[in-house]
Amino acid sequence: MTSLSAALERDNIAAASALDSAVCRHCGDPCDRAAVITDSGTFCCGGCESVFTLLSAHGMTAFYTCDVRPGTSQRTASNRDPGRFAALDDPDVARRFVTMRSSGLSRVVFPTPSMHCASCLWLLEQLWRFDPGIVRSEANLMNRTVAVEFRPSEISLRAVAEQLASLGYEPVLDQEPASGVPAVRRSLYLKIGVAGFAFGNVMLFSIPRYANGAPLPPQFQELFGVLNLAFSLPVLLYSAADYFRAAWAAARGRTITLDVPIALGLAVLFGRSAVEILAGAGEGFLDSFSGLVFFLLIGKLFQQKAFESIAFERTVQSFLPLSVRVERESGVTLTRVEALRPGDTIAVRPQEVVPADSLLLDAHGAIDYAFVTGEQVPVNVERGAIVQAGGRVTGRTLRMAVARTVSHSRLAGLWSDPVFEQAKAHWLTSLLARFGWWFTVIAMTLAVVGAIAWWPDGRKAAEVATAVLMIACPCAFTLAAPMTLGTAMGVMGRAGFYLKNSAVALDLSRVDTIAFDKTGTLTTAAADATVTHQGLSDAQWLLVQRLAAHSVHPVSRAIAGALTDTGAASDVNETSGRGVSGTIDGHRVVLGAASFVAAETGHAIAGEPGADLVTWAAVDDRAPGTIRLSAPDRVGMPAATAAVSAQYTTWLLSGDHATEAPRWTAAFGTRMKFRQSPEDKLATVRAEQAAHHRIAMIGDGLNDAGALAAADVGIAVSDETACLVPACDAVIRGDQLPRLPVFLAYVRRARRVIMLCFAVSIAYNWLGLTLALTGRLTPLATAILMPVSSLTIVALSVGLMRHGAKKVLA
Amino acid sequence: MNVIILLIFAGGVVAAGFLAAFVWAVRSGQFDDTTTPALRILLEEPTKEAPLTKDVIDG
Repeated sequence: MTSLSAALERDNIAAASALDSAVCRHCGDPCDRAAVITDSGTFCCGGCESVFTLLSAHGMTAFYTCDVRPGTSQRTASNRDPGRFAALDDPDVARRFVTMRSSGLSRVVFPTPSMHCASCLWLLEQLWRFDPGIVRSEANLMNRTVAVEFRPSEISLRAVAEQLASLGYEPVLDQEPASGVPAVRRSLYLKIGVAGFAFGNVMLFSIPRYANGAPLPPQFQELFGVLNLAFSLPVLLYSAADYFRAAWAAARGRTITLDVPIALGLAVLFGRSAVEILAGAGEGFLDSFSGLVFFLLIGKLFQQKAFESIAFERTVQSFLPLSVRVERESGVTLTRVEALRPGDTIAVRPQEVVPADSLLLDAHGAIDYAFVTGEQVPVNVERGAIVQAGGRVTGRTLRMAVARTVSHSRLAGLWSDPVFEQAKAHWLTSLLARFGWWFTVIAMTLAVVGAIAWWPDGRKAAEVATAVLMIACPCAFTLAAPMTLGTAMGVMGRAGFYLKNSAVALDLSRVDTIAFDKTGTLTTAAADATVTHQGLSDAQWLLVQRLAAHSVHPVSRAIAGALTDTGAASDVNETSGRGVSGTIDGHRVVLGAASFVAAETGHAIAGEPGADLVTWAAVDDRAPGTIRLSAPDRVGMPAATAAVSAQYTTWLLSGDHATEAPRWTAAFGTRMKFRQSPEDKLATVRAEQAAHHRIAMIGDGLNDAGALAAADVGIAVSDETACLVPACDAVIRGDQLPRLPVFLAYVRRARRVIMLCFAVSIAYNWLGLTLALTGRLTPLATAILMPVSSLTIVALSVGLMRHGAKKVLA
Repeated sequence: MNVIILLIFAGGVVAAGFLAAFVWAVRSGQFDDTTTPALRILLEEPTKEAPLTKDVIDG
């Protein structure tokens, strides 16, 4: 696959340079020098072209008519290891994914994050056309999963996964398949249904009394009262049960959450109504009671729906392969990662992550530690050297001996840092807790004060006290935060900034310091690096480029760049991960690491310490020149960081060396740290927090994982929707990163809207409490005041957030 | 008078019937995914067109 797309790329480089403005027929991305041109259209990469051909061959081109630009770019697909689904052949692994087996049918649910539109849905439900072994498939656009039923006798689980991948829907092999989300939501729907049913009927029996203006004839009043009580009982016992349970738990833990005043208000509402009705003293407040529960539950549903769409939890295991090839006397077997023992000989293929610290058994190898350290260039290791877990093998398959089991590796060590254990405290949680405490205390005090003021009249005193507790229900407060933040989360999600939960939006609005990772965050990946050379003439440089075109090493590929005329080279000799030499037009050309070039040419090279991105090249016997690679800035990032640094304290934390520091001085000043290990980044974040700053960390790799988890808000950058992201609070799509200032402004707006809602809510409570304390809170006043206050809050929060959404979605 | 009471109970039974229908709908999973079916109904079932051969695709 790699060599195929490489060949396709080279063939079409010349033609594509004239087509910079063309867009890919499959995914709609702009086509650059890597474009593939066939008679059926222009494609941004070989992967897109092969998906198109596959669809055409099955008469499925209607895919392109269902939705606009439905495809997902396959640019990175060709880098994937064709054997990456081999683990699914292991019955132990397969059992974790297959959820149903009956009458020769298996059912599997794969998360396919690249599913995004109506066309995807259409295609994924036609899987049976591609393979007779697939019986039927059902896509769920909301959860981004596809459920496939297949006959295991005709098609293997692995083949199903590969079929999905070949169509551009790379399945994510999560350890744990989709959990019990539907069960939770089903129960909430039922509770809302019961509350709504009761609310409607109770209103029906309450309105005659209000319309009449005076108590109804006794036989009706009694009948309606008893019916209202009967309808409200399931609301109290079933729909509102969670509030009582939460309040009870809080009371036992000797804390007061916002659930306490809610439960108290509901209990008093129901209790007083029941007493009034059964004593024949009045009509009660059951319409307000059932309406209140109904509205509260709708707020809860809103909150839940907002973040269900993003499956988020990731563990270190998700980064590691599910199983690895272990060489034993009996031959090569697939073994689960957890079952690896020290001394096992494992074979790790290109692009696979080394699962445990191991000793290299092959002579040479190149390991890409971008995940762990952020270094862009693969590191060369020799026989007997330790390869750390988390490194990714490049070039060719390497054999190594496991030195330590997975859980003892450095990578797992970083991940078992307590920072990953503790649940993050959201400001919203503590805000609501403090607020709940004050609210309860004030309501209780007012109830007592009211009762004392009316005292000689015992009956009136009880009425006033209960009226205070009823009307002082913080329902508007409990709606304001979920509605505002839920809307913000939805809008930002549509724009490509996904929050783990809505409380993160509020945390982000309070951040005063922002730390950026460099590679992959401020700059794009190494493959698009710009190349500069020194000490080589133009003619020599051309020879070096022609030699580089014969190597598949990422650095060579960058050096070869857009070269079209590669020409013939003889005697090309590549030492994996060290360098390449060859003879072109009679000139002997050497390209590679300092030690390699020195050994090949005999010139002593005073290596620049720490300059990892420098490659050396020599033509014939002349003095070697240097070649530097620098990854280009992500488009718009310099402007974005400058804008952010005007309002926030910004840090640059890079795993790379300091050579690119001057480029970022404008935005970061002196607050730049280079050669940062994951632990260093974590330490910087902790130091900022110790100085009472609230810090957001933006990074992309596993090397930022600790810092992402420790930061008040950890934001992972993902250039590929299917890509695995470390534990974090939010994920931002790479192309949306330059719009960070817009997102930050939007979450600050959300915070202001919540404060406004709180103010409005306080005004309503003041009005209600005045009525209650003066003994004028009638059932009618309650029935009007409570829903009106809730609806005002909903209208304000959703309306203002929607109004501000235009900029975010622009 | 009695006819009103009869009406109230008849209304209650009808409403309870709808509640039961809602409970059944939720339990049978009809509210589990509210996005996909709304789109699915708009999509056309692909006709059984003959698979294109490689020559046709390439021009």
